[in-house]
Amino acid sequence: MSQDNIDILQRALKREKSARKAAEKILEEKSLELYNTAQKLKEANEKLELLLEEKTSQLQGVFENINDAYLIMDLEGNALKMNDAAIDLFGYDISKEKLNVINLIYKPDANYAFKSFKELRKKGAFTDYTARIITKSKSIKWVHINASVIYDKKKMPIAAQGIIRDITDAKRTASLIEEQKRKLAKSNDELQEYAHIVSHDLKSPLRSINALVSWIKEDNEGKLDTASLQNFTLIETTLEKMEQLISDVLSYSSIGSEENEKIDVDLGGVIKDLIKILYVPEHISINILNPLPTVKGYKTKLQQLFQNLISNAIKFIDKDKGLIEIECKALKNHYQFSVKDNGMGIDKQYHKKIFKIFHTLNESKNSTGIGLSIVKKIVDLHDGDIWLESEPGKGTTFFFTLKK
Amino acid sequence: MMKNNLKVLLIEDDMIEIMKFNRVVASLESKYNIVEAHNGDEALNILKKKDELPDIILLDLNMPKINGMEFLSILKKDKNLQHIPAIILTTSNNQKDLLECYKLGIAGYVLKPLKYEDYVTKIKNLLAYWSINELIKI
Repeated sequence: MSQDNIDILQRALKREKSARKAAEKILEEKSLELYNTAQKLKEANEKLELLLEEKTSQLQGVFENINDAYLIMDLEGNALKMNDAAIDLFGYDISKEKLNVINLIYKPDANYAFKSFKELRKKGAFTDYTARIITKSKSIKWVHINASVIYDKKKMPIAAQGIIRDITDAKRTASLIEEQKRKLAKSNDELQEYAHIVSHDLKSPLRSINALVSWIKEDNEGKLDTASLQNFTLIETTLEKMEQLISDVLSYSSIGSEENEKIDVDLGGVIKDLIKILYVPEHISINILNPLPTVKGYKTKLQQLFQNLISNAIKFIDKDKGLIEIECKALKNHYQFSVKDNGMGIDKQYHKKIFKIFHTLNESKNSTGIGLSIVKKIVDLHDGDIWLESEPGKGTTFFFTLKK
Repeated sequence: MMKNNLKVLLIEDDMIEIMKFNRVVASLESKYNIVEAHNGDEALNILKKKDELPDIILLDLNMPKINGMEFLSILKKDKNLQHIPAIILTTSNNQKDLLECYKLGIAGYVLKPLKYEDYVTKIKNLLAYWSINELIKI
């Protein structure tokens, strides 16, 4: 072998050595990197496992502790897993016996049940299923169910789960309330009817007495002395008062038995009409201080409300110049109204009493003691409140609110 | 010209109410032919005489046996009687009664007032109004 050849070989060997060295170094670096990555992965895995464990135990907790019954079943309806609430509700313990949910279906609701089950298979879930079930002890319960299908990794359905709430008591309460409401409405109607009949029967004799008195007067014209004529007049005013009393009792008892819905009532219009039909003496003026709003309510009742307050104000004005002021301001949920007069005023001790039925402060021909209790009832009907401020001798202001 | 007096069938159970009505009629210048029935049964009997039908019927609502409303529905179902104007004369201004009556087909609804003088005015006007109406004569 020539010296040249040896040199060539030696150089090649040297190159190869250094290349291997470089390769070894790269390899070493790479494996270190790989090791580190593996280490990181391991840590991450550990964390994940920990997390999974945590989630599983959380789920287990939810499963065991929810008040609602929870059930997992296979696609044929065989129960696979139930929590304690489910065991309590259905009466079956699947660790001891088999249960297919079909056995729980209450026959009259079967169609609905199968339809919902089909929907579950097709859409993967159903919500707000509400029907009756029959438990192991043959008692019938109302339940509310939300259910969904459970899928495996390949998105194949493998089971279904459901949360079942026992709503038997709620249902019973609801139907009880319905029944009570119906009964109440019926007895209200009857009372209303009764009030009309009674008022008819009470008014008829008054009419007769009135007719008989006027005949005696007519037939004995010129023969009766002043005292007798006065007494006849007294009989007539008494009859009028009695009739007013009956009408007022009737209208008091008919508040709240409205058959119609509340409508938008323009109170400005109501007051305008009212002032036209009310008898307002010359010396009394009625001022509306600001435009009145439109509220939701019963028109005739609201008219009666203002009518009673205004005519009360008129009745008790004892000054030479009478002034009635009506004002309104908007509150958050209500409108607040005031009817202010410069009349004789009401002593503080009567402020609560005057809203009670048959409570009148003045024995007069025109007051039956029902007007303000009607007012109170109408205000109540519109979710409002009523009160007053007054200074004896100076005047009274009635305040009341009506819901917007 | 012959003028026929208005023939009125008054169906009323209360004796004093009948006296009131008759007293008003007696006080009027125009003459009216009044037939009284004290309940629905009696009224239906009177209406059986087809050649003596009244021109108008004044009807109280609250009566024993057949009440006013029942009488009214019988009347309005009867082919021979349904044309006779029926005017309610009652104390009840119950909206339900009013609606029911108008649905059954009444010709008027008059409330009996408390004061006799108001009653006189109402009856006088009522009779005068029906006297100027064209009515079915058989």
